[in-house]
Amino acid sequence: MGRAEYKVEGGKLIKVQLSRKGNLIEAIKITGDFFLHPEELIEDLELKLAGHPLDEKALIRLMKTLVEKKKATLLGASPEDFAKCIMMAGGDGG
Amino acid sequence: MAEEWRLVDTGLCDAFHNMALDEAIVVARSKNLVPNTLRFFRWQPSAVSIGYFQSMEEEVDTLACDRRGIGYVRRRTGGGAVYHDTDGELTYSLIIDENHALISEDFQKTYETLCSGLVLGLSRLGVPAEFKPINDISVQGRKISGNAQTRGMNVVHQHGTILRKVDPALMFTLLKVPNEKIRDKLIRSVQERVTSIEMLLKKEVSFDDLKGALSSGFEEAFKVKLVEGETLEFEEQLAAKLKAEKYGTRQWNFKR
Repeated sequence: MGRAEYKVEGGKLIKVQLSRKGNLIEAIKITGDFFLHPEELIEDLELKLAGHPLDEKALIRLMKTLVEKKKATLLGASPEDFAKCIMMAGGDGG
Repeated sequence: MAEEWRLVDTGLCDAFHNMALDEAIVVARSKNLVPNTLRFFRWQPSAVSIGYFQSMEEEVDTLACDRRGIGYVRRRTGGGAVYHDTDGELTYSLIIDENHALISEDFQKTYETLCSGLVLGLSRLGVPAEFKPINDISVQGRKISGNAQTRGMNVVHQHGTILRKVDPALMFTLLKVPNEKIRDKLIRSVQERVTSIEMLLKKEVSFDDLKGALSSGFEEAFKVKLVEGETLEFEEQLAAKLKAEKYGTRQWNFKR
């Protein structure tokens, strides 16, 4: 199980817990004190990320697409910040 | 004539009921059963609320809470963990039609607009408060109020806390710390970053005076007239249902 915490400069804290299979995310939980609306999107996102490669650029793309498609609002953390924290959690041996 | 909003003071309630009633008022507003509403409330027993995205197990020492009879609940809004002390803090909620002129599509702008009522209210007490993005109000760089907003059913819901008195040491017996070695450091850092009305004014301000000042602040900032009212039977019944089926359940509170 890999874990990481990332405090966004001038923003909020993201915490990621994930298990990996090779270079793929097997299961992931993203918590923290950021704002995402609609809130239930976090559960969608976690499902979408299961089976997704640990590739920072692809993770940013996936999150940006999801936010655009669902007309979602992120405050205190950006898709880039989430991707960074996911990569950090994926990197510690998970 | 100024637009009339409802002011309800729901007094002291437990954490589950407090969060359930907020959602019930949102539903009532969305059905146009009630006007835009400012609610004041307190927490008895004292309780910790966590943001929608937080993990209860990671953020809250629920055993310590249980031992002290302190409640804990997940909010429908994002943001961080807050300790709501029965005597130390006042909580407010604003429930406003999303099409109201005060509401922007931009969450950040809406935070600033809605918090301007608190800023004015605090300044009436002699507390030189200012809005601090993303969602805080601070005095001389120290936080005195945290706020959280969400939307849905064409209604904007913002709630937040105003600190009358603060006890960082107690806060950190209820919130988890990464390890014991840094507990004292965290307490000191909160002492440096957080303030309260009592600390600033060197005297206690009663809840009535605080509510009075904040109400005037909201009226002035929003150019509305607050009319004291009661919650509807519909709201109370829905709150009881939401408490039983959502906010009072382990499934909701421990879902992340």
